[in-house]
Amino acid sequence: MKPRSEALLRLYGVQAAWTYERMAGIGVGHAAAPLLRELYATRPAEERRAAVARSAEFFNSHPYLAGVAVGAVVRAERDGVPSAVISRLRTALSGPLGALGDQLIWAGEVPALIGFTIALVPWFGIWAVLGAVIVHNVLRYRLTAWGLDLGLREGLGVGAALQKSWLPRRAEDAQRLAAFAVGLAIPLAAWRLLEGLPLRGALGVVAVVLVGSLLAVAPATRSRVTGMRIGLGLLALALSIVGGLV
Amino acid sequence: MNPGPIALGAWLVWGVLAGLDLVTIPQGLLSRPIVAASVAGLLLGDPAAGLLAGVTLELYALDVLPIGAARYPDFGMAAVAAGAAAALGPSGMGPAFAGVIGLPMAIFGGWTLHRLRRWNAISMQRRLERVAAGDARAIWELQRNSFFRDGLRSVFVTLVGIAAVLVIVRIPWRDLHHLELLSYAAVSGGLVSVLSGAVRSSGYGARRRWLAVGIALGLFAVLVP
Repeated sequence: MKPRSEALLRLYGVQAAWTYERMAGIGVGHAAAPLLRELYATRPAEERRAAVARSAEFFNSHPYLAGVAVGAVVRAERDGVPSAVISRLRTALSGPLGALGDQLIWAGEVPALIGFTIALVPWFGIWAVLGAVIVHNVLRYRLTAWGLDLGLREGLGVGAALQKSWLPRRAEDAQRLAAFAVGLAIPLAAWRLLEGLPLRGALGVVAVVLVGSLLAVAPATRSRVTGMRIGLGLLALALSIVGGLV
Repeated sequence: MNPGPIALGAWLVWGVLAGLDLVTIPQGLLSRPIVAASVAGLLLGDPAAGLLAGVTLELYALDVLPIGAARYPDFGMAAVAAGAAAALGPSGMGPAFAGVIGLPMAIFGGWTLHRLRRWNAISMQRRLERVAAGDARAIWELQRNSFFRDGLRSVFVTLVGIAAVLVIVRIPWRDLHHLELLSYAAVSGGLVSVLSGAVRSSGYGARRRWLAVGIALGLFAVLVP
């Protein structure tokens, strides 16, 4: 397998050895290893070991964008950049790659895709779910490969290249799309899941949802009131009624 | 209904895949409740029931951002258990099982994930000197061992889920009154989660307007035949 392909494959498991101390550092070192092996094939072993050690230092970013850092660090090693500068590059990339990835993926693409899937379930059933998995994995592969190639091409200039790229704009767009899709999914999910509920019951659910949501959003109560806690509380009450305790 | 050995094996394998997918590999949406529960339902003979359990748990999961060091519930294997219960239990109880089995399992799964990270950290401490010396073999060992540890965690949590489901589906649910309350409770909590999460994360600008447009369009689709 070519080193780039091997690194790309390893980026799928970049968070496997995630710890609170080093976060994804070990995974990044593991992904960079094939590229560093090729780079240092004809150079002294001490230099290669120093590069491997640097590549596995503390690192945190969104997993889908970790390839940007892997590529940039390997390119910097290839260009003979001093080790202190490479360490600073990793530190500098950590925050922006985490924030951009979280906005684009966790707060954008994933909720958008899930929202649309829930909205489409009444018509397409399990096929909507299959479509979402395919779309997500195609996007994920393309993003991971794009990130690795961007890093390998730009090296130390990857920060500026990232800023000029489509990524920051699309991150904002993805979040808007997610807000729309989740909004669309809420009434459709309620309609599908509460099918057959009489009007009085439906009004009761609406009242619980509105009051619960207000409490979960209000600054004074939001740290204590969450949807999960309300759900567990309601379930405990329902189980008491069903079990004849109330 | 008792699943046969092949169905039980497929259930265990799917649970492990959903467990690994959350953090370790490949993070390809397999651990999302709507996916995990639908496939579990499919493996046990009723994909539609699994899908409804998955949609219910997805309402809770949409409020979770799996960011960095945050501690969050593991909905993947929980959804596998809920989807399986929905397929094996009385019809129409998908949302109820999502609440009764899925939510406690998600909290338990999240706790095991935290333990796994501590376990990984201990393993890393043992190899710290080798990693600092640039030993690529030590990095490979850490990755491999972490993968197997998460595999073990996933086997354990899935087995707990299987045991819980096999006990819970034996309860004579149909003899109980007001059974529908369980579904309404689980769905109401989910709707609170997704709505409050969407309002919080959409901020005050354009995103909140997009959220309002989405809700309005969804209401239109529901109310206008």
